[in-house]
Amino acid sequence: MAEMWISMGPQHPMTHGLWTLKVKIDGETVVDTEPDLGYIHRGVEKICEARDFTQITTYCDRLCYASANTWSHAYIYAAEDLLGVEVPERAEYIRMVAVELQRIASHLMWLGAYCPDVGNLTGMVWCLREREMMMDLLQELGGSRLHYNFPRVGGVKRDLPIGFAMRCRAKLKLFLDRIQEYEAILDESTIFLIRTQGVGYAKAEDMVNHGVTGVNVRAAGHNYDVRWAHPYSIYDELDWTVAVERPSIKGSDCYDRYRVRVEEMRNSAMMVLEGLDKMPGGAETNHPSGDPAIIAKAPARAPEGQTGFHHFEDSRGESMFYLVGGGEGRGKHPYRVSIRSPMFITIPYAAKCMIGYKIADIPAIMGSFDPCIGETDR
Amino acid sequence: MATDDILDVRGWVRIGMDSVAENTVGMSRHWEYTDGVAWFLTEFVMTIVIFGGIMSTLFVLLWMERKLLGRFMDRRGAVTSLRSLWVGEGGVTAGEWWNQLPFGTGVPIGMLNRTLNKVAGNDHELEAVSRVKNRSYHGVWWMLPGFFQNLADGMKFMTKEHMVPEKADRFVYEVAPFMIIATTVMCFTFIPLGPQIYSNDSELSILFLMAIFSIAPLGVFFAGWSSNNKYTLLGGIRSAAQLTAYEIPLLIVVLSVVVLSGSFNMIEVIEFQADSGVWNIFLLPLGGLLFMVTMVAEVERIPFDMPEAEAELVEGWWTEYGGMRWGLMFSAEYLRTYVACLLFAHFFLGGWEAPFEDTIPFISMVPHVVWVFLKSWFIFIFFVWLRASLHRVRTDQILEFGWRWLLPLSLVNLAMATALRLWVYDGINGEWPILVPILITSIGLALFILLAIDEDPAAIEANTRPYSVQTTDVASPGQHRE
Repeated sequence: MAEMWISMGPQHPMTHGLWTLKVKIDGETVVDTEPDLGYIHRGVEKICEARDFTQITTYCDRLCYASANTWSHAYIYAAEDLLGVEVPERAEYIRMVAVELQRIASHLMWLGAYCPDVGNLTGMVWCLREREMMMDLLQELGGSRLHYNFPRVGGVKRDLPIGFAMRCRAKLKLFLDRIQEYEAILDESTIFLIRTQGVGYAKAEDMVNHGVTGVNVRAAGHNYDVRWAHPYSIYDELDWTVAVERPSIKGSDCYDRYRVRVEEMRNSAMMVLEGLDKMPGGAETNHPSGDPAIIAKAPARAPEGQTGFHHFEDSRGESMFYLVGGGEGRGKHPYRVSIRSPMFITIPYAAKCMIGYKIADIPAIMGSFDPCIGETDR
Repeated sequence: MATDDILDVRGWVRIGMDSVAENTVGMSRHWEYTDGVAWFLTEFVMTIVIFGGIMSTLFVLLWMERKLLGRFMDRRGAVTSLRSLWVGEGGVTAGEWWNQLPFGTGVPIGMLNRTLNKVAGNDHELEAVSRVKNRSYHGVWWMLPGFFQNLADGMKFMTKEHMVPEKADRFVYEVAPFMIIATTVMCFTFIPLGPQIYSNDSELSILFLMAIFSIAPLGVFFAGWSSNNKYTLLGGIRSAAQLTAYEIPLLIVVLSVVVLSGSFNMIEVIEFQADSGVWNIFLLPLGGLLFMVTMVAEVERIPFDMPEAEAELVEGWWTEYGGMRWGLMFSAEYLRTYVACLLFAHFFLGGWEAPFEDTIPFISMVPHVVWVFLKSWFIFIFFVWLRASLHRVRTDQILEFGWRWLLPLSLVNLAMATALRLWVYDGINGEWPILVPILITSIGLALFILLAIDEDPAAIEANTRPYSVQTTDVASPGQHRE
């Protein structure tokens, strides 16, 4: 068969979002790829320039529907850097609980989408069922199921609800048991192994040169996790280790990326359990909203020319926020909001990873990088 | 014509058609054609009986697929979810239907159920299933909720617009679905549902059936090519490659059954199993396994459903079809699966013969046709089980598996069948020495169990794959500050 271009997307099961992957194939082999992004560009950065610092949180939630809390927290830390707010320690712990629960939910969403990518629907149903537990917990914190709008400049919206710690411990304990069931249906299935091992090699140095971060680069043996390398919040008070895969000579394959995500779910669950134990003031106490124990007073206006910056370990890599204060002329609005999306950098790299593999490997490779188009197009 | 079979459908129909023919044609001046007309009418009615029998029980298949998949995909796994049929979730039993039985006959059932609930019931409030339960059916279970879903689906397909892609090859595009469904339905002609419930008893019925069964892939390729879409083209080519690769081992396995039974006639194959006292699965366990694997590939189900791999090819060769043509192809897929199940029951599980027919008293009271259906549905459970627990393999992997493993193994199976038939089968008594099936089955089971344990203890010991994730550097928080 002669070579031909196939346009996968914008509506295609492989894409996990709204984008196009143009693939040049020779028979069943992928010869060339060309990602085409930008279908859902909403101009979040520009919209944010006309919003208060509190209002921006909702827009950041919507950067990625699978991982809303991590994005709003990434923004909040940058805003606190800009406004110079000291956050109460209890609020930091509550934020850590929310973010790590969100990370588990996001990885479960990824695994749930990855199983059908390699042809198994059971894994999807199982993962989404456990994700439901995480979403229930996050709903208790934030009040809604997907876009929580939980953090506030200077603290959090609400304290932990009464009984949250008990329910959270029980559910995470259950969840830690159930991770073993995923491993039973995935790791012990020869078909899953032959579909993921030796497919989609990505080398650590290439990825670092491209700017790929997060799980994908840790799968290749590069031990870089923002939570550990540059600890923000209270991550340096917790007892945890970064999940890193020992790389092969060729780099990391899809299976490595899968393993690291599963390990990271375990780590996050352990961190939440530890955080609940170490919570200042106890996890069972409940302060009313606006109590100084969970939220500090924050100025509404940022001085002109002052900048705020934070980089954050998102579920998909290193996200960054860069804010510039507008002074009196801009009122309560920032002068500039800039967002670094990890997937915007990862997707073109992942597209190059597919060259030389088969058509059936396209969803397996692309899915293993965990694309999220909401944050990519911003 | 009439036999002692309680379901001698063919005999009844023949009697009825004889009288019809005599009272119509026999009265006319063409009276010499009476026998021919009666024969034709009998064949006609029997074909309709077989068609109706298989088509109406297709509902069971589709229903089983939905319900079983729901149970398998339940995170508790197959065994515990089967338990949930009689023990309730969250400490609550579903509906307490036994209280509605007359004369208090349900009281012991209720007591048993409460006891089971206390002992084995699940009262964990955090079980995620209790959330899913909220969406489940609240009526009575014996109304078979969802059983006639496919009727509703069919009605919906009927009302849909028939769309043809602008640049499609219109003639081939229109013909392909009918090619697939017609050849699939034709397979029924050669499938008996009982010793006296069949529509055709030709000498070479197995050969003819397999020939017809192999036409549908051609229709699949036509459909993929004529839609003028790159995805359907790829799906059609994959289908052609896969089905030719799996057709050959399939036919060799069928040939081994034929060699073992000494006949190309389906009914004689079944009667051979009944007469010799041993089902073929106990003599050719390898053949049964190969037949199952190749049939899964032939009917394009997971793990061998690359032609319609929805992750990369959208819907493969189906992509451009819609409306009732899509519905026809969908039903053809399940009809082919049903044919595969029925063939497995006939070739390997003794067809309509009841298990332990001579040993268990009164088991021969059960009509033969019931066993045919029960066996084929039992086989279908395996198909669903595979679908729920396996992933999709890649095209090059499936072709390699087919040519390098299944083809040599099917030849080994054929050699085994030949050897058994030539040197072991006691033609004079018409029976198998009873040790032979026991020996073969136990050796086969032992081999299967040995080969199923594929763990590499050395690899686990050395902490390499598959559980190799570890922390290479022990991360100590705040290390950067030092």
